[in-house]
Formats: sequence, C-alpha cells, structure tokens
Amino acid sequence: MTVRRVEIEERVLKRNEAIAAGIRDRLAADGVVAYNLVSSPGSGKTLLLERTLERLGGELEIAVIAGDVQTENDAERLANHTEKLVQAVVTGGGCHLDARQVEAALARIDLALTDLILIENVGNLVCPAGFDLGEAAKVVIFSVTEGEDKPAKYPQMFRRSRYAVLNKIDLLPHVTFDVDRAIAMAKEVNPEIRFFHTSALTGEGVDEWCDFLRSTVKG
Amino acid sequence: MHEMSIAVEVCRMAEAHVGRDRLANVIEVGLDVGCDAGVEVDNLEFCLEALLSNPPFGRAKPIVEQLPGDVLRMTYLELDE
Repeated sequence: MTVRRVEIEERVLKRNEAIAAGIRDRLAADGVVAYNLVSSPGSGKTLLLERTLERLGGELEIAVIAGDVQTENDAERLANHTEKLVQAVVTGGGCHLDARQVEAALARIDLALTDLILIENVGNLVCPAGFDLGEAAKVVIFSVTEGEDKPAKYPQMFRRSRYAVLNKIDLLPHVTFDVDRAIAMAKEVNPEIRFFHTSALTGEGVDEWCDFLRSTVKG
Repeated sequence: MHEMSIAVEVCRMAEAHVGRDRLANVIEVGLDVGCDAGVEVDNLEFCLEALLSNPPFGRAKPIVEQLPGDVLRMTYLELDE
C-alpha cells in the first residue's frame, strides 16, 4: 500500500464560472442585459418585478427567469405581465440558482428578440451570492421591515451586488428603520454600491429604478 | 445550505480526476477556503464528511485550510493504493 498525492489546484466553482462566462458571451452577442435579483424572502421582489413589467413591458422586450424553492406562485403572478416568462426551476429545497439552471432557461428565450432579462433568484441572502449566473450585475433588494443591519449581517451579498433596492419605503413612518445607517453599512462593505429607494406598493421611486434599467439597455 | 452544492461539486471533481473506481482509495481531499468565500467551513466539512464516508467513496476526510480572501479551490487528493 502506498500513499499517493494528486495535486489539483482547481477552483471548486470552475464549472459554474465557465457556464456563466458562456451565458455572458451569448447575452453580449445579442445585446441583452441581464440582472440577477437577490433578496431575503418577503422583500417585495415579485411585486417590484410586477411594477417594473407594467412600466417597461410596453417599450422593452423583457424576459423573466423565476426561481423558487417550492411553488410556482411567483411565476403565476408574473405571467400576467409578460409573455416571456420562464420558470427556471422549482428547486425543491435548493437555496440558490446556478448557471446551469439559467443556461437551461435561456434555451426557452429568443435572445435576438429580447432586450432585458430579470432573474428572480431564490429568496435567500446567503447562498445566491456565491453563484455567478452570467448576469451584468447582481441587484440586492431589501426592505425597511427587515432591520437596517442586513448589509452587516450578509456582507457577501452586498459586496457582490452592484446595486441595492431599498423597498417598502412607504412603511418608513411605521418602523424604526434608519435609512442612513443602512446605506452606511452597505457602503462599508461595498463603497461603490448604488441605492434605489422604492415602494413597489405605492409606486414611489419605481420610475427611477425603471429609468435606470432603461438606460442600461442598448438601443 | 449552498455548502452541500459545493460539497457535491468537490465529489464530482474528485471523480473527474481519479475515476470512479478509485474513489474508494481516496483518504484525503484538500481544500483552500477563503474567509470571504461565503462558505461556512464547519458546515462544508460536515457535508463533505457525510458524502466522503459513503460509496463510491470509502474513508476520505476533508482537509480544509482557511485562508484570507475569497479563494475556494480543491488543492489535492491523497490516495492509499
């Protein structure tokens, strides 16, 4: 019996990264911009998506890839607003989307006829941070009912997100959430992060969010 | 619980490197995990211990080295042949 050592030095997520790079190339070739929307459960992500589709659906070709742990409820809600909806996966307990699932979903989207893809990740502020889906950027959505220390508690997610949407701002008069402190905590882990302030319920701030999305989509 | 996804990927990589028939001979799986990798090391070890002690593996143990940064890589496999 001899002990033999095989040197490997290989990134564990290399396969996911390779698929994500392929997705990024395909999207770039067709001029499609994709955002990976990450959040905790109950942040209002699906309602924000509905409002976004209501406002931009008439002028942009938007596809939505929806991931969910168990139900197709979100997909059913979103289906009322776009014909280009792909239920990427009901993960059956899985805590994040990976690039392979998005690649499979893209097979059902005609990229040549698409301007923008919004990927609704599984509601979870931990696991989706580690998986590149080939998106242009991650957008972290959190709400004023969650506590302003979310960026300090989940630094990876805020570090890896280029944009943050602070949602449910209509509730600010009724909660103790300190907006400045939340932003300061987010900037501490990611100085470049850009904030949007929205109430998907009342529509406040949603125009600015939609203006941003529109501005990043190439004519 | 993405640690389980990572553990499963580690097992897949081991199979790719040494072949399924030799997985039972693997005694150590070396990993570097950065403190900013977004991976809970205890949890990853727990998941790997569960996977590596069952067929097609036999008695492999995960050996995790914690490093600064966001590195997450398999560094070596040790086989008893």
